[in-house]
Amino acid sequence: MLLELKGVQKRFGGVVALRGGDLSVDAGEVHLVMGENGAGKSTMMKIIAGLYQRDGGEMKWRGQTVNFANPVEAAHVGIAMVHQESLLAPHLTVAENIFLGREVANRLGLIDRGAMVEKARRLIEEHHFPLQAEWKVERLSPAGKQLVEICRAIQHGTSLLIFDEPTSSLSEAETHEVFKIVRTLRDRGTGVIYITHRMDELRSVGDRVTILRDGETVHTESLATLSTASMIRYMVGREVAALYEREPVKPGPELLRVHNLTSPPAVKDVTLSVRAGEIVGMAGLVGAGRTELCRAIFGLDHPSAGQIWVDGKQVSIRGPRDAVRHGVALIPEDRQKTGLARELPISWNVTMADIPAQYGVLRHTTERDVTAKAIERLRIRCDSGAQKAGRLSGGNQQKVVISKWVSRGARVFLFDEPTRGIDIGAKVEVFEVMDELARQGAAILMVSSELPELLQVADRILVMRQGRLAGELPGRTTQEEIMRLATLPSSGTELEQ
Amino acid sequence: MKTVQRLLPFITLIILFAALSIATPHFMTATNLSSVVRQTAVFNIMALGMTLVIISSGVDLSVGSILAMGGLMGTMAMSKGQPILAGVLVGLLTGGLFGFLNGVAITRLNISPFIVTLGTMGIVRGLALVVSNGLPVHEIPKAFSFLGEGTVMGVPFVLLLLVVCALLVHFLLEHTRLGRYTFAIGSNVDAAIYAGIPVKFHTTAIYAIGGLLTGLAGMIEASRLMTGQPTAGQGYELQAIAAVVIGGGSLRGGEGSVVGTLIGGFIMGLLANGCDLLGINPYWQQVIIGAVIILAVSVDELRKRRAV
Repeated sequence: MLLELKGVQKRFGGVVALRGGDLSVDAGEVHLVMGENGAGKSTMMKIIAGLYQRDGGEMKWRGQTVNFANPVEAAHVGIAMVHQESLLAPHLTVAENIFLGREVANRLGLIDRGAMVEKARRLIEEHHFPLQAEWKVERLSPAGKQLVEICRAIQHGTSLLIFDEPTSSLSEAETHEVFKIVRTLRDRGTGVIYITHRMDELRSVGDRVTILRDGETVHTESLATLSTASMIRYMVGREVAALYEREPVKPGPELLRVHNLTSPPAVKDVTLSVRAGEIVGMAGLVGAGRTELCRAIFGLDHPSAGQIWVDGKQVSIRGPRDAVRHGVALIPEDRQKTGLARELPISWNVTMADIPAQYGVLRHTTERDVTAKAIERLRIRCDSGAQKAGRLSGGNQQKVVISKWVSRGARVFLFDEPTRGIDIGAKVEVFEVMDELARQGAAILMVSSELPELLQVADRILVMRQGRLAGELPGRTTQEEIMRLATLPSSGTELEQ
Repeated sequence: MKTVQRLLPFITLIILFAALSIATPHFMTATNLSSVVRQTAVFNIMALGMTLVIISSGVDLSVGSILAMGGLMGTMAMSKGQPILAGVLVGLLTGGLFGFLNGVAITRLNISPFIVTLGTMGIVRGLALVVSNGLPVHEIPKAFSFLGEGTVMGVPFVLLLLVVCALLVHFLLEHTRLGRYTFAIGSNVDAAIYAGIPVKFHTTAIYAIGGLLTGLAGMIEASRLMTGQPTAGQGYELQAIAAVVIGGGSLRGGEGSVVGTLIGGFIMGLLANGCDLLGINPYWQQVIIGAVIILAVSVDELRKRRAV
């Protein structure tokens, strides 16, 4: 056994992040770690990698009790971690990033650029990574950056590698690349700990799985014998309808019509229509132009050709303000960056698109009423509307973003990856909100990379491929059908952008 | 405990006040206190505008130059025979105009406020020197001194002005759409754009209002000195920023308040006054004030980190 944790604890001030972390990893094993946000996965990983020090419990490395004071000590015995967010210096080259903090020096103590590049090249070739040592990191795609992170982690005799949600920003093809690397490492006898949220990917890569809930290890089992349903049950701690069933609504009049919309370079000649009461799914690989289509409809990008109709009238949308005025709402992909003002109260977020005011003077009572109504209607779990929006869980943050548009009375909703970074239990609640909106006559276009989700929620599914609409499928189609439309037979992975 | 931390700037002000009253008998006198009020009024009125700017996640380095330009234009108008009220108005509008131009440059050229106002800091100062030929304006009606030195029923007139401005800015910030947009823009400008808020328009308005208040501060300064100085207000931008920041404003935007800024401004004023009264070397004053800025902000950061 490579690594063993027993009853590991970690507190931050008064908050217990980990109360009973158990984990054992063998050499040559891919061990998945799963759990909802806040279950303690990342804390546990950071303790293993020496970023945090445990407050209690036992940690053994090859049978010996260990205490890592910092990541360097962990790296010394052969433990490395590939972080979720890219921790690279974008203006430096691939080689410089791989050896960042461990630069190769010559006898004078100066950096030996040639030797460093050579070492990096050998490392890259050894793993057949499609990278060049001299490339600037800023020019790499998310997957390329991930590979650089992996190079950094495995540069010297790593025997345990921790991946923290490595594929959350990767496309399907890139994900498969990462899986290949993980398998290669495993076959060489490296132990791999792999954190993931995505139910669809784990079976193709993992051997065993450990599930955490509320800071405690609740279960460890071989993936071969553990069903998805019981996995979810362990994670959530109660029965969850893993398969959300949506009763389709009889569609009303057409609310959104996009005709021959072209927004260079990502969107080419897209025509689609969404009727009131409909949830139309939008599938495709990362980079297929789905987000860009939403941006173009919402006026964030400027289409070079095409028309948009809202509620039967042709509209000119030159910016988000026009879109908002015509009742179009965008729930963006990146909630933290573009959806939510984290430091502001919930109520201010709720009313942001339609601040109750008369002659420019705020009407605080109306604002309180609107907020109270939104909290009740979308079942936002919070102490009060005065709470900072950033303090809420991911699912409740998303509801706040949605409520901004509900308060405004929007009728066309563009949901871009609405469940990203949201716990399983909360996902269903987001679906319920979408369903309710549709029932009340909204038209919904939903972009998602999680195919099972689309199959559960959408009435019909549009598939984009390289900026164009590749086809339309009924809601009860299969993942294989979607992927067939989404991928070209000859599509390769372009790591340099 | 949390309340104590939030009230820390206020408590500091009280302690400072009490300490100075005990340390020197010259502090708690009507003359001294009214002189503190007059000295700090100029900074405080500027700092009110800076509060808006900083909450919107911006900064305005050109206020010192704008103050000089406002004072200069106002006094020049008076020296050309315009009535006092018209002169004051000219000073205000000059400030407002340059603030507006800052806002236009920031929003239309899409350059960071730091760079734009760093540039205009030099441009406006240079223009003030060009216009005045580097010479101060002296031919000012005697009655103009009322603005900076007059009293109304024993209360310094500038204190009344400060209170009125503070109430106006407070109302603007907490009770109008513009104020709400200021917070939204400062907290997350992308979210504000996505919500359909006219970000460019309001950002420009914020800088224009800041300029207007700076113009007023410039007229007060001119009235106190009874000259229009093209070199007035050098380094004042840092004083104004410091007042906002000590009062809990964050240069990351989305945070700040009028009350906090006033407290910050008075803390700075009392420190300077206390150092004077206690006979502390003016060179050391700068060291002390600089240290207080860093201390205040680090305490505030600590509070926020703990609150998460």
